[in-house]
Amino acid sequence: MAWVTGIYLAYLFAPMALLLAGSFGESWFNTLLPTGFTGEWYEAVAADPSFRRAFRVSLGVAAATCVVNAVIGLPLAYAIYRAASRGVRVAARIVYLLPIAVPPLVLAFGFVLVFSSDTLPYLGTVWVLVGGHVVLTLPYLLQTLVGDMRHLRLHELEMAAESLGSGFAARFIDIVLPSLRHSLASGLIMVTALSIGEFQLSNLVAGFLTRPYPVVLLQAFYGATGFACAATVILLALALLASMGGAVTARGAQAARSFGA
Amino acid sequence: MTGAAISIEALSFTYPGGKAGVFDIDLTVAAGELVAVIGASGCGKSTLLKLVAGFLMPDRGRILIGGRDMADMPPRTRNLGVVWQSYALFPHMTAWENVAYALKVRGMAKAKRREEAMRALEMVGLTAFADRRPGDMSGGQQQRVALARALVFRPQALLLDEPLSALDAAKRIEMRDEIRRIQQAEGIATIHVTHDQEEALSMADRVVVMQNGRIAQIGTPRELYERPVSRDVAAFVGHANLWPGVVTGPDRVDTPVGTLATAPHGARPGSAVTILVRPERVRPGSSPDRVNTIAGTVTRDRFLGALRRFDFAVDGGLIVGETADSGAIAEVHVEPKHVHILPETPPNQRRVQ
Repeated sequence: MAWVTGIYLAYLFAPMALLLAGSFGESWFNTLLPTGFTGEWYEAVAADPSFRRAFRVSLGVAAATCVVNAVIGLPLAYAIYRAASRGVRVAARIVYLLPIAVPPLVLAFGFVLVFSSDTLPYLGTVWVLVGGHVVLTLPYLLQTLVGDMRHLRLHELEMAAESLGSGFAARFIDIVLPSLRHSLASGLIMVTALSIGEFQLSNLVAGFLTRPYPVVLLQAFYGATGFACAATVILLALALLASMGGAVTARGAQAARSFGA
Repeated sequence: MTGAAISIEALSFTYPGGKAGVFDIDLTVAAGELVAVIGASGCGKSTLLKLVAGFLMPDRGRILIGGRDMADMPPRTRNLGVVWQSYALFPHMTAWENVAYALKVRGMAKAKRREEAMRALEMVGLTAFADRRPGDMSGGQQQRVALARALVFRPQALLLDEPLSALDAAKRIEMRDEIRRIQQAEGIATIHVTHDQEEALSMADRVVVMQNGRIAQIGTPRELYERPVSRDVAAFVGHANLWPGVVTGPDRVDTPVGTLATAPHGARPGSAVTILVRPERVRPGSSPDRVNTIAGTVTRDRFLGALRRFDFAVDGGLIVGETADSGAIAEVHVEPKHVHILPETPPNQRRVQ
């Protein structure tokens, strides 16, 4: 098994290592590794107005996606968790897993058809982009939340709170939100990572001024290698940062609720 | 029913789309009394608790707590302390915050409610753990926190839902005494739901045996053990030899293990009955006048410390006995007064079916 793992890790890390090397290399023509050392590619990316705008768009879209996800996801997860009948739960599960099964390309094409019509001429606006990201990422947040609700037996905690005299609003603020804070945080960081890296749907529905970072990045591949590498490393760093944040939060959640098993 | 802390009258509830539920429950719990509700799983005992707590609404009948009809009162206004099977402690709050939560909801100032919570934690011997979270406490400690949390706001009654089932055997026996001590110290009316008959018999003032959603018998632990109304109650409460029998005379019954003499019983000759003999009433050796003496062989012998429980094979069946005597056994006997006659079908079930 060791060599399988080795090959896997090589395939995983070698491209990243090469990217990193390329981003700091002065020139890279017909050699295995680049020659020279420079930070100019990063400066170039940072100075490029379309990359600067794309960076802002990506962060903004990710933030908006998180807000919408939290606002929709929490009540929806709660409704799925508390659904009385098995049928409702199964149906909900299928519906919220559908966006994972359906290729983003299919979804994006649907968006293009709907939002390029005269009645809904919103294609290219940032809100269509946010909507698309929400559809794609919500299932992940829902799964995290519903799983945590089951694990915590939120229903029993609520019954206990109610028998102690706590009304609906008080229970939500005192019990539901604090119990779910870890899974909500780790779920939203996962949403952020997915949103920042999303390309397929964004590429089709984004307008020229609302292109998120990965879409603009594609243009860089036609230019200097070092520039493309530097631009990609920035995306990689952003995504890794979000993933690491998610992992740390998830571990915190595990520790906080480890007694509940 | 003045003086009753909890009064349940003709209470019925059926789960939607099913036949399960509870039916015609009449039960009163006096102030300071601990009533245990026992029965096999699915007998309706937890349903009864949920009805009293207000998490289910009865189809018929009513529940009075402290003389007030609970019909339109949601759980949060019923002022009942509940200890849940899983404890349901809030994982993000410390022990004292858990205990003080009911006081917080009632608008008590923080310093005051910490003081009250500490007093409640002192009652369960956990003041040293006030600032720990449930995740850092043992099962027994969590149980104590749950008990303190259920009592701190001076509820009208205490409801215990299988409170000891998550603990290991030794801890469970310790907590029985602990719960009973605190319940008596607080003088609070308590309904204690459990599937553990031994727990019920050892803690309760009275025990309710439920079967198929109905009350099969209510009585003190001794009454239940010595005068069960039916075969099912006898089988559920303690160990028992139960044989089908036919009445052959005013003080005789035929059983598969032979004809047994009984105390004068008044049952109609020829009627089918169930014979109950508790294992500790099966004595090794012959009785002086050889009444109810049966020969056979020991087929199984279980060492239980102070006692041994043995299976004694005789012509026509098996007799289970308990004795402190460690000698060989070739014969056993039962005094006639310990041969109990139970009707084949208990009267209350005959009426409803």
